Amino acid sequence: MARNRDVPLVGKEPLEGAYLLLTFRHPEVAREGRAGQFVMIKAGTSPEPLLRRPFSIMDVDARRETFTLFLKTVGPGSRALADLRPGETAACLGPLGRPFTAPSPGVEPLLVAGGYGIAPFHLFSLELVARGVRPRLFYGGRGAGDLQVRSPFATMGVPVALSTDDGTLGHHGRVTEPLEAYIDASPNAARCALYACGPEAMLHAVARVGERRGLRAQVSLDPWMGCGIGTCLGCVVPIQGAEESRPRFRCACTEGPVFDARDVVWRGEGVSLARRARQAEVGA
Amino acid sequence: MSTALAGAAPLAVEVAGLRLKNPLIAASGTFGYGVEYEGILDLSLLGGVVSKGLYLEARDGCGVPRIVETPAGLLNAIGLQGVGVRAYVRDVLPRLLPFDTAVIVNVCGDTVEEYAEVTRILEDAPRVDAVEINISCPNVKKGGMAFGGDPRLTAEVVGAVRRVTHRPVIPKLSPNVADIALFARVCAEAGADALSCINTVLGLAVDVERRRPRLAFGTGGLSGPAIRPIAVRMAWQAARAVKIPVIGIGGIASAEDALEFMIVGCPAVQVGTANFVDPGVYERILAGFAAYVARHGLGHLSEVVGSLQMPGAGGPEATPESGG
Repeated sequence: MARNRDVPLVGKEPLEGAYLLLTFRHPEVAREGRAGQFVMIKAGTSPEPLLRRPFSIMDVDARRETFTLFLKTVGPGSRALADLRPGETAACLGPLGRPFTAPSPGVEPLLVAGGYGIAPFHLFSLELVARGVRPRLFYGGRGAGDLQVRSPFATMGVPVALSTDDGTLGHHGRVTEPLEAYIDASPNAARCALYACGPEAMLHAVARVGERRGLRAQVSLDPWMGCGIGTCLGCVVPIQGAEESRPRFRCACTEGPVFDARDVVWRGEGVSLARRARQAEVGA
Repeated sequence: MSTALAGAAPLAVEVAGLRLKNPLIAASGTFGYGVEYEGILDLSLLGGVVSKGLYLEARDGCGVPRIVETPAGLLNAIGLQGVGVRAYVRDVLPRLLPFDTAVIVNVCGDTVEEYAEVTRILEDAPRVDAVEINISCPNVKKGGMAFGGDPRLTAEVVGAVRRVTHRPVIPKLSPNVADIALFARVCAEAGADALSCINTVLGLAVDVERRRPRLAFGTGGLSGPAIRPIAVRMAWQAARAVKIPVIGIGGIASAEDALEFMIVGCPAVQVGTANFVDPGVYERILAGFAAYVARHGLGHLSEVVGSLQMPGAGGPEATPESGG
């Protein structure tokens, strides 16, 4: 159950560039937080910016009652968090939202992260490895500086395929290219499940990869969020199950942020993949 | 007018026949249906909760993006997405039964008849303590502000709702008018028991790169600390214009913010956007009230209501209306 708390900062690890890791004490998030879930958090009481911000839970430590966020300092809200000193508190509500669902036995999880979207896959990999499942990570960004969280995956024994738009690290191109190459070369191609977190265009591309190969894909959407608990109705996304004649707005905070990629009505498409497939069946 | 409940806690008030354990009410559209806060916040801490606006049928609301932050404020165009009044009565009201708080339902309509019909359906429902009439939403094409910006239509809607309910009727006024005192008087004459002042301030935020509005709907309603001085001024004007109580709304996030409205004449207030910022806001405000009562040696918080000492004759020209 989500709890609203003033949480003390207990750890701060600067990474390269504008990135850092922040660790706070929050017993409920530490105990109950699952990969794909998030917290709403804000440092200070300034009305600028006004609202808390959603952050994916990157790691939890139930024994120490702490959780860790992956932060990129981009504006005043993230700057205020980055400027916290150990012992200072932030206002934090969590854990919130629906987590990723682990794959069925024998299915290989393929994780696709775009830059900042790496955060939930750190926790997801820990959860999967603890269950004896070894995921594989496809990690893309604009440049090498955007691929900041790599060593924990090596430690966990999770194979990582890196890619950058500018070719400064790993494959020179889109993250979905090594993903497709891996699936196509795999003798186990029908026994893969896709998980994606990152920019919307990347999520859409992963949804298409899944559709073309008949693979399930779970995507973590990241719309503007006001409250995190389904009251402001600001973060809605159009969702359409196979049986629904028209899309309906659902709150990403309470019914997501993780959705089945087939149920999402992607920008410019007007209908979900699930509904289109059902219509094709009926029409056939 | 409101009265302090004799012998009750020093925060309890009665507003339009509604007995509230304290003057804090969660504002419509910022608190869902209340049940969303289960486990996060004890609803029994609140004087009352106002539901998200309800029409006869469920509504999808506006496209996305629906919210954007502006300096010290939130601009929204949600468009009254909601479950519809029958689903509310069936699915939500029973879940509010365990909580010791007043339940106020925000009633919407595309037509005068729809406002009345929604109210009629609520009349048979248990657990509803009052109805708030939404004649001030800026984010719908029909109804909403279209009613609240026209004195004749305002009177029609309030009168129609008044005729079908025995419960307190509380029109929620729009700030997007030149003379809110006029609308306050129109509502009082049409049978309103109290007023809620104010709804959001009509605004527009522009994406300068794309040269398009930042909200899908185009314009939106501004809320949060940015609008508080406007809201306090309008609540003050409304309170001076009518004898029925005025519930103050607009950018309240602390006891001091709430006290501004109380001092200008509001016996109760609604907390809106601050619900999104901090579910712990009610505990903080209540603690602030207790400190204020102690600091000022008050027997009851409501002693501050209407205690504003405005500069008088010879001072700045600060009284736009003569009031009624």
